Amino acid sequence: MADCDATGPVSTVNSGIMEEKRQVVGDRLKRRDEERLAELEKKKEERSENLTAQESAKFFLETFSKNKNDLEQELSGCDSLEKDKLVDRFDNLSVMHQKLQRFLTESTMFLSSYDVRQTQDALSKLQALIQEKRDALLPKKKFAFKSKKKGTQQQKTEESKNSDIPSVDMVELADCKFTDKENETLIMDSSINMKDVALANLKSCTVKLFGAPSAIHVNKLVNCTILSGPVSGSIFIRECTNCVFAVPCQQLRIHSTTETKFFIHVTSRAIIEDCSKVSFGPYNWTYPNIIDHYKVSGLDKNRNTWDDIDDFNWLAADQRSPNWSLIPEDERNIQWE
Amino acid sequence: MGLLTILNKMKQKEKEVRLLMLGLDNAGKTTILKKFNGEDIDTISPTLGFNIKTLEHKGFKLNIWDVGGQKSLRSYWRNYFESTDGLIWVVDSADRMRLADCKQELHNLLLEERLAGATLLVFANKQDLPGALSAQEIRKGLNLDEITTHHWLIQACSAVTGESLLEGIDWIIDDIASRIFTMD
Repeated sequence: MADCDATGPVSTVNSGIMEEKRQVVGDRLKRRDEERLAELEKKKEERSENLTAQESAKFFLETFSKNKNDLEQELSGCDSLEKDKLVDRFDNLSVMHQKLQRFLTESTMFLSSYDVRQTQDALSKLQALIQEKRDALLPKKKFAFKSKKKGTQQQKTEESKNSDIPSVDMVELADCKFTDKENETLIMDSSINMKDVALANLKSCTVKLFGAPSAIHVNKLVNCTILSGPVSGSIFIRECTNCVFAVPCQQLRIHSTTETKFFIHVTSRAIIEDCSKVSFGPYNWTYPNIIDHYKVSGLDKNRNTWDDIDDFNWLAADQRSPNWSLIPEDERNIQWE
Repeated sequence: MGLLTILNKMKQKEKEVRLLMLGLDNAGKTTILKKFNGEDIDTISPTLGFNIKTLEHKGFKLNIWDVGGQKSLRSYWRNYFESTDGLIWVVDSADRMRLADCKQELHNLLLEERLAGATLLVFANKQDLPGALSAQEIRKGLNLDEITTHHWLIQACSAVTGESLLEGIDWIIDDIASRIFTMD
């Protein structure tokens, strides 16, 4: 019903609408005409562009085949050349080939994929031809570092003539060492300061190092007690059984070791690998001038992560490795002899 | 010109070099990396996993990968081989007892196809220790003269004092640069 009220001014509205429509249609026609012209212009442009594309493709193919012919001629001329000129000739050929390759890569924009494939094939064949010819005419090309190698070989033979460097299997251990002992008490003093110490193949021995070595390497100990002053660098322990260690150091790595107790002061984090039944407590050995040795080593006395061990065979963060444990407090007070 | 030319030019401008640092555990790989980068070396723990440092040196952008050397980690080394320009093999020169192991691991790496194009620098580290083997002895112990598949150099050094680290790195970069960045 409400619609009826609106019928009154319909005619005037209608004429207004017609006027508007006419204008709209006119505009649309005009716009369409403009678009058509623009389209025409665009097509014309495209056509001319196409022409230049064709032209440059044509130019490319011509230049390429000319260069290719030159290269082939150079290549066939190789047979009659003397040997000392051949190297230069082949170098020259490679440069020409490279240039041609670059020319192709730079031209791929306006080439049809067929042309690109064809020329690339031709280039590859050319490369193979050059290589073949080179192998035939210059067998075993001299590499720049061949003479150097000759030099080192000479050096090597000289060395083996007059040197007494032992072979790998019997490398002598360094000066500071205890090896192949049984049932002994072995002692070193501060002469080991800043040096590296090796302990290997000991059975039922007690080792006391009253000094501040830079590093300790330990291998194959059974039923031994090892006591050391502060070590500025790393301690590397492997294949020990049923031993007790008391050591302060910056780094501690323990490998393939079982049933062994460690009383340690470590300023980074100690790690174990392939170990079982190893336990840890805080470092508790002391001797009269240990303070001086701490100074020599530069170890920070206030920084000790003795109870924080990384097991490289146990990467689960939420569960504790079954391979190591903490020594109960009432078992930490050991009276060192 | 072509897109490829532009890409090539961009790559040349960047001059990125990827170095992979490997070696037995306790060789001093992380210490070398941190010392070279001017960081504190007193608090380094054995590497559980890997460290990567990107640093500018001699106009090159060096990506140095330092992968843990523990036995249990060595099987993961292969994951880092891809597109390595240079291999830095670090040796604890004072670890006379494991020189044979060290030789074995190195020669296994050199058979690796993905490292075939890489330059090899051997750092005979820990020369500050009086018991350290000399570079000549390490060279013999590791049979370096047998290597014909890679450009190599052995450099005696000390990560703790920083001695000769620069010489080694400079050599490996020069060698890589002469192989890779002289295409034009």
